[in-house]
Amino acid sequence: MTEATLDRRTILKLQAAATAAAAAGLQLPASATNLPTGVDATQLTWSKAPCRFCGTGCGVMVATKSGRVVATHGDAKAEVNRGLNCVKGYFLSKIMYGEDRLTQPLLRKKNGKFDKNGDFTPVSWDEAFDIMEEKFKAALQKHGPSGVGIFGSGQWTIWEGYAASKLFKGGFRSNNIDPNARHCMASAAAGFMRTFGIDEPMGCYDDIEATDAFVLWGSNMAEMHPILWTRVADRRLSAPHVKVAVLSTFEHRSFDLADLPIVFKPQSDLALLNAIANHIIQTGRVNKDFVDRHTLFKRGQADIGYGLRPEHPLQQRASGKDKPNDATDMSFDDFAQFVSEYTFEKAAEISGVEARHIEQLAELYADPKTKVVSFWTMGFNQHTRGVWANNLVYNIHLLTGKISEPGNSPFSLTGQPSACGTAREVGTFSHRLPADMVVTNKEHRAKTEKIWNLPEGTIPDKPGYHAVLQNRMLKDGKLNAYWVQVNNNLQAAANCNEETLPGYRNPDNFVVVSDVYPTVTALAADLILPTAMWVEKEGAYGNAERRTHFWHQLVKPPGEARSDVWQLVEFSKRFKIEDVWPADLIKKKPDTAGKTLYEVLFRNGKVDKFAPTEVEAGYDNDEAAHFGFYLQKGLFEEYAEFGRGHGHDLAPFDTYHQVRGLRWPVVDGKETRWRFREGLDPYAKPGTGVDFYGHADGKAWIYALPYEPAAESPDTDFPFWLTTGRVLEHWHSGSMTRRVPELYRAVPEALCYMNPDDAAEMNLRRGQEIRVTSRRGYIRARIEVSGRNKPPRGVIFVPWFDESKLINKVTLDATDPISLQTDYKKCAVRIERSEEGSI
Amino acid sequence: MTSRAKLGLGGCAAALALLIVALAIPQSPSLSESPEPLHSNLRGPVPLNEEGPAHRMTPEVNTADREIRNYPEQPPLVPHRVDGYQLDRNVNKCLSCHARSRTGESQAPMLSITHFMDRDGQFLATVSPRRYFCTQCHVPQHAVKAPVGNTFVDVDTVLRNATGKAPE
Amino acid sequence: MMNSGTRFSPAAIKGRIARARVRLAAFPWRERALEYWNVLTTPSTAYSLGFLIIAGFLAGILFWGGFNTALEATNTEKFCTSCHEMRDNVFAELKSTIHYSNRSGVRATCPDCHVPHNWTDKIARKMQASKEVWGKIFGTIDTREKFLDKRLELAAHEWLRLKSNDSLECRNCHSAQSMDVARQSPRAASAHERYLFTGQKTCIDCHKGIAHKLPDMASVPGWQ
Repeated sequence: MTEATLDRRTILKLQAAATAAAAAGLQLPASATNLPTGVDATQLTWSKAPCRFCGTGCGVMVATKSGRVVATHGDAKAEVNRGLNCVKGYFLSKIMYGEDRLTQPLLRKKNGKFDKNGDFTPVSWDEAFDIMEEKFKAALQKHGPSGVGIFGSGQWTIWEGYAASKLFKGGFRSNNIDPNARHCMASAAAGFMRTFGIDEPMGCYDDIEATDAFVLWGSNMAEMHPILWTRVADRRLSAPHVKVAVLSTFEHRSFDLADLPIVFKPQSDLALLNAIANHIIQTGRVNKDFVDRHTLFKRGQADIGYGLRPEHPLQQRASGKDKPNDATDMSFDDFAQFVSEYTFEKAAEISGVEARHIEQLAELYADPKTKVVSFWTMGFNQHTRGVWANNLVYNIHLLTGKISEPGNSPFSLTGQPSACGTAREVGTFSHRLPADMVVTNKEHRAKTEKIWNLPEGTIPDKPGYHAVLQNRMLKDGKLNAYWVQVNNNLQAAANCNEETLPGYRNPDNFVVVSDVYPTVTALAADLILPTAMWVEKEGAYGNAERRTHFWHQLVKPPGEARSDVWQLVEFSKRFKIEDVWPADLIKKKPDTAGKTLYEVLFRNGKVDKFAPTEVEAGYDNDEAAHFGFYLQKGLFEEYAEFGRGHGHDLAPFDTYHQVRGLRWPVVDGKETRWRFREGLDPYAKPGTGVDFYGHADGKAWIYALPYEPAAESPDTDFPFWLTTGRVLEHWHSGSMTRRVPELYRAVPEALCYMNPDDAAEMNLRRGQEIRVTSRRGYIRARIEVSGRNKPPRGVIFVPWFDESKLINKVTLDATDPISLQTDYKKCAVRIERSEEGSI
Repeated sequence: MTSRAKLGLGGCAAALALLIVALAIPQSPSLSESPEPLHSNLRGPVPLNEEGPAHRMTPEVNTADREIRNYPEQPPLVPHRVDGYQLDRNVNKCLSCHARSRTGESQAPMLSITHFMDRDGQFLATVSPRRYFCTQCHVPQHAVKAPVGNTFVDVDTVLRNATGKAPE
Repeated sequence: MMNSGTRFSPAAIKGRIARARVRLAAFPWRERALEYWNVLTTPSTAYSLGFLIIAGFLAGILFWGGFNTALEATNTEKFCTSCHEMRDNVFAELKSTIHYSNRSGVRATCPDCHVPHNWTDKIARKMQASKEVWGKIFGTIDTREKFLDKRLELAAHEWLRLKSNDSLECRNCHSAQSMDVARQSPRAASAHERYLFTGQKTCIDCHKGIAHKLPDMASVPGWQ
């Protein structure tokens, strides 16, 4: 603690003085009162910033005084939240001040030398980069580019993700870069690409105030997107005709607003979605004109496996595992035939939901007079058929034409502040490039190489290791130098005890973790780099409604902490182009010879073209001061070249510092609220009405996809479904929010929510300690039978924010074979009384 | 003494009382004193490949005392238990005490006037539907000490350090 | 919720009862019943008065025992929750409340709160319950939606009953005299001192929804 707080002695002294003065009938002199006087003394500097937490993208105002953040509140001028924050947002002021902030690089050492089993020892940045350089070069030597990799984040600022992507794909020539957004919305992204050929929602949050019905598909917005929930609640409670349907595998806080509460069996959402499509067709409510003009029908590949290791029996058995993304053309009649087997009765049987409730739900979509917004998050995305679920919800919006107009909106929400802005738009996935381009497309690579001014053939043409594969490759010793930034993957990755930790501790590997606090991931690393966070650096995020928003550096990071972008760019100085590129590649661009990656990628006459003096007056920019150019602006303006004129137009850099964010495409200074609709989207061609221009044919594709079971279902040995998730008061792995005492005390630890009848049957009760065990691992937790989550019989819910209960040791690392995103919502567990019998 | 100072001192006393309550609840042994070289008190010294015991569940603090806010914009914490409070589209248990018309009988603080404003900043006759779900911002506290402290200091302290004036 | 005003209004219910009476009147066993009545009202000629008194006494014991056993059998949670209407709605909700699960495991069962403990009131309540049997037979609340539509009416009956008997069933366990305010939270202590001990309010005035979920309270005084 740097500044003294009021201690008890001071209080007592003051109290005594005041009492004495009062007793004597005296007034204390003015200078002794508690009211500081003078405008200068009491004036606070208020600046805007987006919230650090979820993908809603609320605006906050941040007050600083004497180099410290002293207050935060919801920005009244921010369109997203108009002055509101959730409890986490209101405590943003404290997230940077956890007392165990990392302020120096820490290297595992024994006897003064790096040792994989040594103790963390403070080292200088130079020493940290020395060992990193040595290990990265050794890995490149041993395996080539595939020996190095980085795991980033949807919390990377836009330029951090961009710099990392450029360094790895363009510099090291390794596509082994993936964001933790892979765990979060890869299925949503793949769903968009399959149906529309272009990523991210067509609508925006304004749909909330314009709709007649909300359907939540596996999204507990009341806790996970609280400020959007205030808008939904506002709409529902102010307009009595509005209906809210909430679907989930257990009852949670969003049910508090539900007109139509539906609890279904895990995985059966696929059947419900098909039953709705069938109902729309059977009752003659297909919007034929829309369907004929704007859609095509495709039969998707079925039996696609579960993204497990190839030797797993489930993988061996799957007939479509090698071509999960395949599809063949079909007609509307074929499609109608395909979904006809999904009657309400059949869907009821699969889902456990009463047929009349499915019908009520289907009517919200089928009734042409009802505008519908569908919201979904992890219930859909963390699903071994997550891409299908996304495709199927688009099907019902497309069949009815309820899309791309105010109030009619299938809307995929995101969990991270820049899952859209960085992970998706910048393309920090192992298969992607900026502006929806992919590494497997020759033209896309060529375009990227041109903008990056790199020789043709620099970027490898095969996808690199994705999130789950990175862990497997670390464990198998094929990925030897590994950098983790802005995420806590040891806590977040499924099956982490068997598939993640062994890779971090594999003696062949050197693992670097850049973080703000000693997370479990940092503690599993070999080198920890202390990192600047949030308003300690200049940043930019992109939220779930395509809104790009910026903030300035408002305070200095503590000690030697440095921003992620500083770390990436500074590290690039350690590599000569000859260290990383083969001679024939250098020959194609001889001027790169002898240069460092820093000079080729960043200090290259393009990224460095803006002077530090262009930083807005009154704000620091540590990176500009260090590198001698306005790094963030250079990176952003280069990145923006990818999207301008291609449906992803961004405004000029400086504009974003003035406005409360803008929704892309920003054309002629104007943002776009609804895409694909002529008159609302400048890219929709005149005369089309609706133009799904993401696909070359201008159509959206409706997919015929069946219900298929989950990778692992309860059986006699493991009789419960385990589903995991978040709580309102903590964000993701809790590394920030659990260091705010008020938030810690609000929800101190993760509990195992279960049905009271299940507990009673097992002679268990609230507060008892149990083990939750799967085929992979266990945790110990206390039972809650009366809390905010109410699972049906046979289901338990355990949130994952609590690092003292690593529930992801229990979960299964099965993924959607198309999006490669893990299913954190379904695996089989058993519950036992903790044998230690502790109380 | 000014009333503001009294409030401040009262708040300090309340915070102190809360701390005492929190300390009275048995905790796992102080983790920071462990010989383990580097770990987080949020997990404790349990090796990453093992799983430690789950702490006993703690009750929610149940007082009528207000805690000092870190800054005026911070939503006040709920000083009392709210488990079992119904808060859905039918019923708002919180408002049965904190609504303007109920505060006479309940002597509870009235919800702030900002809560009457709609999205466009207009005052409504009653609480705005956008503010209906109180627990999105106002949370109760468990009687437990946070294992990792926080070095945030409020603006008064920052000002005092800057101006050298007497503390509040 | 939309149709509660018409289908379940007092007038509609009265109408239905009247129609049922007409139907009953059509049955022939009315004549028979009159004959039995004649036998019963004619003095005995075959048995002594003493025998009749003793036999009557014994029969009375048997009858009373049987009646009471039957009565008590209907006075259990098991009986109440044998109907899915109770089990899936109100009983499911009770399980997460303090009246079901708490520190010492002393818990309230359905009749503890919903059936008076003294005999006269209990019989009166049981007679009232015939209406509930009627409701069961005719499926008045046999789906979740029907239950929710009727919930305000049902709850209002209970609130009225508890209000008019000064929360008698609450007080069977929670004696105001036995409250130790030092052991109560400051908020509870202050509310009890101001309103309960002074007799200004009775338990149910403040503790509606203590054991089950509340319906839409917009029309209930003191709620928003």
